[in-house]
Amino acid sequence: MSPGPHARPVAGAGRGDMPANRAAGIWGLVAVQAGIRGALVSAVDVCTASLAAVAVSGAALTAAAKAGSGHVMCATDALSEQLAELELTLGEGPGPDAAAAGGPVLASDLAAPAVAARWPGFGPAAQGAGAAGIFAFPLQIGAIRVGVLEMYRRQAGPLTNDQLGDALVFADTAAVLLLEGQDRAAGATGPLAGPGGQPPYLARHRAEIDQATGMLTEQLGVDIEDAFVRLRAYAYAEGRRLADVARDIVGRRLRLESELDLPAGGGK
Amino acid sequence: MDGQLLSETFVELADTMVVGFDVIDFLHMLTDRSVQLLDASAAGLLLADPRGELRVVAASSERARLLELFQIQSDQGPCLDCFRSGKPVVVADLSTETRRWPHFAPAAQEAGFAAVQALPMRLREQTIGALNLFRAAPGIFDPADMRVGQALADVATISLLQERSLRRSETLNEQLQAALNSRVTIEQAKGKLAERLQLDMDQAFAVLRRYARTRNLRLSDLARAFVDGSETFPDLVEPGGKGLDR
Repeated sequence: MSPGPHARPVAGAGRGDMPANRAAGIWGLVAVQAGIRGALVSAVDVCTASLAAVAVSGAALTAAAKAGSGHVMCATDALSEQLAELELTLGEGPGPDAAAAGGPVLASDLAAPAVAARWPGFGPAAQGAGAAGIFAFPLQIGAIRVGVLEMYRRQAGPLTNDQLGDALVFADTAAVLLLEGQDRAAGATGPLAGPGGQPPYLARHRAEIDQATGMLTEQLGVDIEDAFVRLRAYAYAEGRRLADVARDIVGRRLRLESELDLPAGGGK
Repeated sequence: MDGQLLSETFVELADTMVVGFDVIDFLHMLTDRSVQLLDASAAGLLLADPRGELRVVAASSERARLLELFQIQSDQGPCLDCFRSGKPVVVADLSTETRRWPHFAPAAQEAGFAAVQALPMRLREQTIGALNLFRAAPGIFDPADMRVGQALADVATISLLQERSLRRSETLNEQLQAALNSRVTIEQAKGKLAERLQLDMDQAFAVLRRYARTRNLRLSDLARAFVDGSETFPDLVEPGGKGLDR
């Protein structure tokens, strides 16, 4: 196999090696799309912003449902919507596999023999509809699963490391937007509300944030999605960094009680 | 070096072909074996996230102080240097590296470590992470030791390729992300269990891992079901109960 896009280590010169810069840059792209719509940032802006950055022809977001199948939340074009609907109907495809595996499915060439074996219904149908490659990213934060971001290309070919990195950040962004959108629908304000809203993952990944989220399911008696939203809402309300709040919770210097004056949750 | 244990470790690689293989538990086992087989007091496996960070996925101890040493290394340290160069980084005495790693070197020394190695996890031309070894005493590392360490790092890389028959370069990236997300799930589970049973994170992890092994569950599957509430585990969360003993 000749050295291709993977020939060099991922980190190096350029945007790719600073997660905070990458996340901020992507948030900027997403915010631009919201500006074009003249509205607050929402998950649909992730889809439209991803097209140029990841060099894909279309993108769709499917939201998971607690029971039963999900539904298509938004799509940038008819084909991406059609692909998502096909997967829901057939119950197979990169999207369902990504959701089940808890990791991305990068099917860069739908004409490859393995594809027909893996998705005997979806594979040929997707190709027939005009897709040559599909990349599906579960929207997840550990056990929190909110849906899938799926992108397609009309030409086969793998994502470069930079495109993959960007796609993962778009997926992270969509996950948090969907989680907070559920909260905001009930009239809450939070870290992403408003034009100056705080982008989801400015800080580096910290284990304490995940641990604190788990702890809050017990302290607040809520499910993991609510625990995550409340943790972010608390940090935002107190004007503190998420990682610092998490560290205090894990260090047992801070407890969150359910009667704290947090914005009311959207209810689950 | 324990030759028997060394042989067993490599034979266990064959088990990675089996359906139901638990890659997260395997990587933890490798870090445990690294400490038992090599001249090291602590070990960790870090993987590069395409978003641009080095993140720990398994360690010989879940003590917060050790995990913090890995978190620091997403900014500076032997693992980052190793990842960028694709070559081993070996330091016999951390007290000489304060200028090189002004945050990491003092932190590692404060945690009781004097010497460190980072060995690259490589697949063909791509470096995907590093095996990080710490030792309490300063001094050079035995070259034979380092060869075994590199072999363990290679075993870790191979174990991520569960579907080798597909021979797709994308398989590695898919598995890598799944492993990183499993780690997040496990951290969430540690938090939930630690709060429920009033344990520290290291103890909570030990309970989860023991429980998963004795019931033949994948650690990441147990963690996910425990956190999302899709299953209850009464003898896991019974305070002072069977989950803790055994």
